[in-house]
Amino acid sequence: MSYPLDRIRNFAIIAHIDHGKSTLADRMLQRTGLVEPRTFRDQYLDRMDLERERGITIKAQAVRMPFTGADGQDYLLNLIDTPGHVDFAYEVSRAMNACEGAILLVDAAQGMQAQTIANLYVAIEAGLEVIPVLNKIDLPAARPDEIAAEIASLLGGDPDDILAVSAKTGEGVEAVLERIVERVPAPATRDDGFTRALIFDSIYDSYRGVITYVRVVDGELRPRQEIRLAATGFHNEIDELAVLSPEPRPVDRLGPGEVGFFTAAIKEVDQARVGDTVTGHADPAPDPLPGYREPTPMVFSGLYPVDSEDFPDLRDALDRLRLNDASFTFEPESSAALGFGFRCGFLGLLHMEIISERLDREYDIPLVTTAPNVGYEVDLEERTRRPGEDATIRVSNPADLPDPSRIAEIREPVVDAMIITPSAYVGTVMQLCEQRRGSLDSMDYITEERVELRYALPLAEIVFDFFDRLKSGTRGYASLDYEPSGLTVADLVRVDILLNGEPVDAFSAIVHREKAYEYGKAMVARLKELIPRQMFDVPVQAAIGAKIIARETIKARRKDVLAKCYGGDVTRKRKLLEKQKEGKRKMKAVGAVEIPQEAFVAALSVGQD
Amino acid sequence: MPAAPSPRQRAAEAPGPPVGSRAAEAPDPHAARGAGEAPAPGVYVHVPFCAHRCGYCNFAVDVGADAGLRRRYTDGVLAHLAAVAEAGPRALAPQTHHGGEAPGPGWPVLGSVFVGGGTPTLLDPGDLARLLTGLVEALPLAADAEVTVEANPETVDEASLATLAAAGCTRVSIGAQAFEPATLAFLDRRHDPEAPARAAADARRAGLASVSLDLIYGVPGQTPEQWEAGLDAALEAGVDHLSCYALTLERNTPYARAVALDGVPAPDDDVAAARMAAAGQRLRRAGLRRYEVSNWARPGHESAHNRMYWRGGDYLALGAAAHGHWQGRRWWNLRPTQRYLARVEAGQAPTGGQEILDEATRRAERLLLGLRTAEGVARAEVTPIDEEAAAALVAGGLLADDGAVLRVTEAGWALADGLAVRLLP
Repeated sequence: MSYPLDRIRNFAIIAHIDHGKSTLADRMLQRTGLVEPRTFRDQYLDRMDLERERGITIKAQAVRMPFTGADGQDYLLNLIDTPGHVDFAYEVSRAMNACEGAILLVDAAQGMQAQTIANLYVAIEAGLEVIPVLNKIDLPAARPDEIAAEIASLLGGDPDDILAVSAKTGEGVEAVLERIVERVPAPATRDDGFTRALIFDSIYDSYRGVITYVRVVDGELRPRQEIRLAATGFHNEIDELAVLSPEPRPVDRLGPGEVGFFTAAIKEVDQARVGDTVTGHADPAPDPLPGYREPTPMVFSGLYPVDSEDFPDLRDALDRLRLNDASFTFEPESSAALGFGFRCGFLGLLHMEIISERLDREYDIPLVTTAPNVGYEVDLEERTRRPGEDATIRVSNPADLPDPSRIAEIREPVVDAMIITPSAYVGTVMQLCEQRRGSLDSMDYITEERVELRYALPLAEIVFDFFDRLKSGTRGYASLDYEPSGLTVADLVRVDILLNGEPVDAFSAIVHREKAYEYGKAMVARLKELIPRQMFDVPVQAAIGAKIIARETIKARRKDVLAKCYGGDVTRKRKLLEKQKEGKRKMKAVGAVEIPQEAFVAALSVGQD
Repeated sequence: MPAAPSPRQRAAEAPGPPVGSRAAEAPDPHAARGAGEAPAPGVYVHVPFCAHRCGYCNFAVDVGADAGLRRRYTDGVLAHLAAVAEAGPRALAPQTHHGGEAPGPGWPVLGSVFVGGGTPTLLDPGDLARLLTGLVEALPLAADAEVTVEANPETVDEASLATLAAAGCTRVSIGAQAFEPATLAFLDRRHDPEAPARAAADARRAGLASVSLDLIYGVPGQTPEQWEAGLDAALEAGVDHLSCYALTLERNTPYARAVALDGVPAPDDDVAAARMAAAGQRLRRAGLRRYEVSNWARPGHESAHNRMYWRGGDYLALGAAAHGHWQGRRWWNLRPTQRYLARVEAGQAPTGGQEILDEATRRAERLLLGLRTAEGVARAEVTPIDEEAAAALVAGGLLADDGAVLRVTEAGWALADGLAVRLLP
């Protein structure tokens, strides 16, 4: 059935991980009668296994719920699910822009977290009506009054006005639905004759091609309609037009304010990018919806197959992954130590983890993932520029950083970080941020117990273990959110690691000059532990250019011979040596040093302590 | 009753090439002779009986056999011997024979016999003598053939050793292992610390031409001083030959279980390397030459039988669990004593398994065995090798390469297996 504009409510739920977003959504589905309890699978909206395992949402989707309000009118509620991580901030902002309202769901025991607040600001910026809701009020540790006061101090308004629910039991869910009807504005439309629909998600499906999720803003979408995507220029006929309620159901029209998805023989998600505008092919809107942005990778890492024979398979897998994730990039590169692989760019660390886990899980390709790094801009010394070389180059692999003598200036990405912490840990947090070259922008007490700190931090300093350190230093209470804020000049150097005098490119890192010594020392110590003893002494050195800044020695193995080898031992012994030889073939040889794959993996991934 | 013919008489009667031709050559331990040249074949006889199992040992041993079984075993081995001798060498070689000379129908002259265990001297001396005499009668042994019997010190005396000598035994290898009570206790050895020296003296008096002792180093708790004192004690006992073995943690042994479950220390490679180096120095000063990773000898007393193994020679396998090799075929007899006996008593071959070595496998074996020895291995026998690795090992001072022969250096002894792995193509 079709709904007039004033009966439609589009909303999102803003919540920290584990604060109960999916559970609340599930209860709404049940309350509106869309899902029978017996077919119910917990957290219905989180589709991918990976998401279910991590308990987080990484892909936004939308579900349509008919609801009869207390006023006796029939309403259409569209819940637009948003990703829940800082890496996907842009996708969050697009999903918010597809809504008029947002539920701010806060765990009544834990209170607001930095990420929630960051997303709240995105919602406020997008002009959304925010409905605060306290969840988990049934928990013994719940402090509803305190947390309500906290929310009120951030949002304004009366703490007593804040709804309280237990998404787990369903208590209070009805009131939330009523409040949505009551407070969230109906969608508005320009009605200028053009079609504009906002893409807030696109998902690759191997049978139907890309499934594009849209919120129609102006005009309408119909099956067989010739559409065009404003940013990519892709155009085709709409094949299938449908809504999720929550199973897909075909419709013959999506009008203003409505939310649904279409297919149009789109082969990869890169052609239907989040934030792009769907318009008519014959009569494209002269002014697409604002806010579209090209995805820009922030964090880079080399992905190398453990077995070099897997290289073509890895390329194939990355190609296929990119079909449904336009926000990561990859290009082939080679490493003297690791062979052939790809330099991949990600939105952030979680994004990187998700991609490598998917490669491992869906494609079964064991990988060596080099330590993550950020992208740098390097101005070259004019006199050292080679013919045809740009004055400024981008460096996404530390091994590519030019020789110090050729560098006029290096710029690194910085972020505005927001950290919310119990006030007892402010000192610890500030100390951590200062260790990470942070500069304090502001410190605000949200309540007496909770402090919001804002720091400018180099992205490179947080891509490693910053979050873990922050968590362990605050007994898990602090939360973090950040957004990129451009590039800034920094005194950076490349630290190379040499084994037996030969540099191992995979271990090179760009670090701040003042931290180079500490980094070099830690890295050579770790390698000394990880690399098995060889036939000869192996010096492990850290160097900046030609200058050695740290050194350890892996002492030679002193005994590698079986004591007895007589007539009855030959076969067994020969087989043992053949097995060892086989093991050696799987090692990476760097010069004369044999490094087991596991040592490589451990050195690159553990790290950063 | 006519006296049994002596080994030398038997060999002189044997047809074929001149007896003892190999031994007639002047012994020159420094030359890489044997490289590429087939050593005289030998015979290995396994006697699986032990009074008890030592904690570290994973050998094929049979504990608690009574005198009846021991006698029956002797008879079984002799029956096996008769069948092998009768069938001739063609029955031993691979069915499809590649390279070298195809075996003729007759036996070549054999250069050595080694009776190992287990504890061969748990057999009645008369039974052991019957075994040796049987061998001499059934197969053409060289006049100067080396005939070794392994002995635990507490199981022999001058009389029993004299019985063996009269039956053709020329060499005895005494399992001393250590000279201090604590180390012997750790190893589960039950003889008193003076027993090995007594046994060595008995062997001398019994007229055996060569006396060897086994020692074990790297035993947890043994100090460097105790190890050196043990070496001195072995030298004072006047032996011609010493085998020094690093204590090795073998799977499925009481020692391995104690390490895994009870926190008993495992052998430490660095400690073992230090002890091995100390042995090298001490024994060189005493005039012994190291001719294999774990073996030292006064000139002329190197074990011909063991050297035959390391040179890739052929040998017959008699007794339960014994391994044999003949021109590229390796085989092993059934390990359980009773099953072995059941087969040989029924006139059936007691073979438990075999493998036919292809050329690459034979080269690999030549490499790993040859690198254990002072004489090294001829390049011609092992080519192709990883030349890059060879160059690196030469540059690192672990391997010597004169273009014809590869051998470990003094620094390379303790790393011989690692070298072999790296040189394998």
